Amino acid sequence: MGEQTSFKSYKEMPIRAMTISDMMWNLTGSWRNVRPYYDFKTSPCRVGCPAGEDIQRYIYLITEKLYEEAWKTIIETNPMPAVTGRVCFHPCMDKCTRKDFDQAVNINAIERRIGDMGLENPDWMEKAAASGEFKVAVVGGGPAGLSCAFYLAREGHSVTIFEAERALGGVLRWGIPEYRLPNDVLDKVVGSILESGPIEVKTGTALGKDIKLAEIEKEFDAVFIGVGLMRSRELGIEGEENDRIEAGLDFLRKVNSGEKVDPGKRVVVVGGGNTAMDVARCALRTGSEVTVVYRRTLNEMPAIRDEIEEAEREGVHFHFLATPKEIAGSGKKGIKVVFQEMELGEPDDSGRRRPVPVEGKTFDMEVDRIFTAIGEKADLGTIESVLDCEWDLIKVKDEYGETSRSKIYAAGDVVTGAASVVEAIAAGRKAAQSIHSLLTGEKIPEAEKKDVVGIEDMNTVYFEHSNRTQMPRISVEDAVGGYNEINSGFGPDELHREADRCFSCGVCNFCDNCWVFCPDVAIHRGEEEYEIEYDYCKGCLVCVHECPRNALSVREEGK
Amino acid sequence: MKKVIMGNHAVSYGVRASEAKVISAYPITPQTQIVELLSEMCASGEIDAKFIKVESEHSAMAACVGASAAGSRSFTATSAQGLLLMHEMLHWAVGGRLPIVLANINRAVGPPWSIWTDQNDSLSQRDVGLIQFYCESNQETQDTIPQAFRVAEKVQLPVMLVLDAFFLSHTFEIVDILEAEKVREYLPPYNPDIKIDTADPHSFGNLAGPDNYFELRYMIQMAMNEAKDEIVDAGKAFGEQFGREYGLIQPYKCDDADVIFVTSGTVASTTRAVIDEMREQGLKVGSLKIRVVRPFPFDEIFDVLSSAKKVAVIDRNISFGSHGIFYQEIKSALYGRTDIPILGYIAGLGGRDVTPKVIREIADKAMNDKSPDRNINWIGVKI
Repeated sequence: MGEQTSFKSYKEMPIRAMTISDMMWNLTGSWRNVRPYYDFKTSPCRVGCPAGEDIQRYIYLITEKLYEEAWKTIIETNPMPAVTGRVCFHPCMDKCTRKDFDQAVNINAIERRIGDMGLENPDWMEKAAASGEFKVAVVGGGPAGLSCAFYLAREGHSVTIFEAERALGGVLRWGIPEYRLPNDVLDKVVGSILESGPIEVKTGTALGKDIKLAEIEKEFDAVFIGVGLMRSRELGIEGEENDRIEAGLDFLRKVNSGEKVDPGKRVVVVGGGNTAMDVARCALRTGSEVTVVYRRTLNEMPAIRDEIEEAEREGVHFHFLATPKEIAGSGKKGIKVVFQEMELGEPDDSGRRRPVPVEGKTFDMEVDRIFTAIGEKADLGTIESVLDCEWDLIKVKDEYGETSRSKIYAAGDVVTGAASVVEAIAAGRKAAQSIHSLLTGEKIPEAEKKDVVGIEDMNTVYFEHSNRTQMPRISVEDAVGGYNEINSGFGPDELHREADRCFSCGVCNFCDNCWVFCPDVAIHRGEEEYEIEYDYCKGCLVCVHECPRNALSVREEGK
Repeated sequence: MKKVIMGNHAVSYGVRASEAKVISAYPITPQTQIVELLSEMCASGEIDAKFIKVESEHSAMAACVGASAAGSRSFTATSAQGLLLMHEMLHWAVGGRLPIVLANINRAVGPPWSIWTDQNDSLSQRDVGLIQFYCESNQETQDTIPQAFRVAEKVQLPVMLVLDAFFLSHTFEIVDILEAEKVREYLPPYNPDIKIDTADPHSFGNLAGPDNYFELRYMIQMAMNEAKDEIVDAGKAFGEQFGREYGLIQPYKCDDADVIFVTSGTVASTTRAVIDEMREQGLKVGSLKIRVVRPFPFDEIFDVLSSAKKVAVIDRNISFGSHGIFYQEIKSALYGRTDIPILGYIAGLGGRDVTPKVIREIADKAMNDKSPDRNINWIGVKI
């Protein structure tokens, strides 16, 4: 304890009521009954991302202008941000805390810019050398296969990708139109993945046709199957075998291959998913008048909202609550299609209300072409004789893609049915972790389990309202006139403006509030982190309350 | 440069000229325009000060306490209920020996709610240890701010500047505007020897036992005594530089006066007009404006009043159960030194107008009543 001072006269005393010595001896931390501590939590966007991208972290790194580190953070869980930044349905943004404050951060556009920076700076990609120990076959060069190959190659495993088509990319190349994902971007992404480690590619090699699963199994230490869903489902109606009825996927493949297509003036697309939107908008670009016929309503459409809005903006018509019933006539001038009117009944397993025919209500339409886009299915072929399958999909034991046969793993749409690109990327990575574990005996690292913060945990007085920064977009006239990319991406200013909008939920971003507010100067700012000096922290919790982002927690002393 | 401005803005211009570094306030009628203009000056860069928004007057003064303790020239403004809410922090400013300047617009205290003037809010703070100035014109108001900072920083005590609501706060007058560069020599930048510094940590305002507390109070009283000289010096130096001199008190035609009226605030100007009128009628009257209430200028007041035959004190305030507050002060200033009668008049509470007619009524009563109540006489109250 400090010495008590006694003065002979007021003249010896300081004018202020103050201690003569410093007060460091007075360890006021002993007064504390609750203890604040830095406790970083999980941002809700990360939970929303099927790939589990550390979104808060890479956005923080962008605000610090550490772009390479930001890019590296993304590719820890997703090797193709330039792709997902363009085509992802961005569920992260649905979870964004800012959504409950003003508008969600445009994570998708931020990811795209960083993805593109990765392509502009090929040296950011570290190249893994082959360990020469293990060989893995990856069957299917779509998003799941590419992701799996990337994460295996990073571990030094020698990967061979078997691809039925003449080029890698799968649905990214043959399904998604160029106005959403230009081929040159895809080529660069694929190139960067192939450059990342010991990956060999065998294109034009279809499973079951050009090579047998048994042969692959024999030659490789493990096999990954991610062949996707490459066939459109049929309508299952009378008169369906007609030249004027075409699978939407086949049409997209032609368009994406640069083939000349002429579906005619009057085009109907049946379906409400992303394929339907892609088909409708490509048909529009050939000069057709396009109507999307969907058996439920706008609310139940599984397509990405942005895509539906874009389609509408470009001039696609929508006809809800109807489904083709039969082809009533066919001639030189087109086909006559009878549509059954529908209504919404009880909810089905997906939670969406089931479409039910309205007795006796039908209508006719004369059209030049019908595109089917009511779902895709796998072309399992000989796989069925080797692996357990169900509903035309490969059965797996868990999220890590283990099939009924040891050493064979599967992931992506061929396992889940039609899903998203990001889900395929996530599943491909998980399968890679599982295969790596099989080969090396290393355990799959467990995902960190932290509390997820929400808007109610934040101190939003420290945030100002602002509008989301949107990507610049070409005009509708320019859009429908060709296949130029519609969104032109962020420049540096837009990138930073939007990155600065991130609340950094649950994770410290060095805003200094705790340090400024601590009335006892018991918080110290270091190079990398703040530190609480518990000798002097009285447990007033001002730091906890004034932290805008809930990066501190409290626990009772002695518990 | 001369400008026609309201009393509130005269405060703002005074603060601008004094180059305050921290301004913190919470809005309250009739003060708000002071800090409104200051916030605009902060926003435009016209003054280089930090404007701290707060949720109460208590916090406004707390912010000033912190800023001043850290060595920044700090200012706040308030009125009535706001000043009362600030009360605890006023003690802090005094006990912490922090030279904060506060402008209080005299507003009658509620309930019942009132926004009009009387002096009970500021005089309720009489014993806190604030130096208190009562201003009567916009020019005096502006000029008093740099004087207040100068005195405050010399003796290390806070100053409260007091203006009548509306009669001064919202009244437009010509003011010769002070410019900061010309004031800088008169009021150099504040740079105290002792301030909060993390490199040299001390505990401020901490516990003082019975062996030390007493001396610290004694030192505040010493500072108040010193302040009296500093106020006189500041008023003289101001006069030398800017041509307008100020003092502790302002006597008017008192030398040969039989009756002297003691006034403060805007009532002082009205009273002078009545004195002129009465002098024309051959009546020997004068007035004494009390500009500084703490430290109270006992001797200066005695010197002026001792030659009169009667003293009439006009109070726009009331200490319930006692008398007008200025009345008590004047009485104690003259106690044991003279036995001239001192008469107390209460007028103008809650903003009731104190017109020349009201002053004349007081004068007539003071001079003609055969046996007036010496202590308390209510003027204009509907009995």
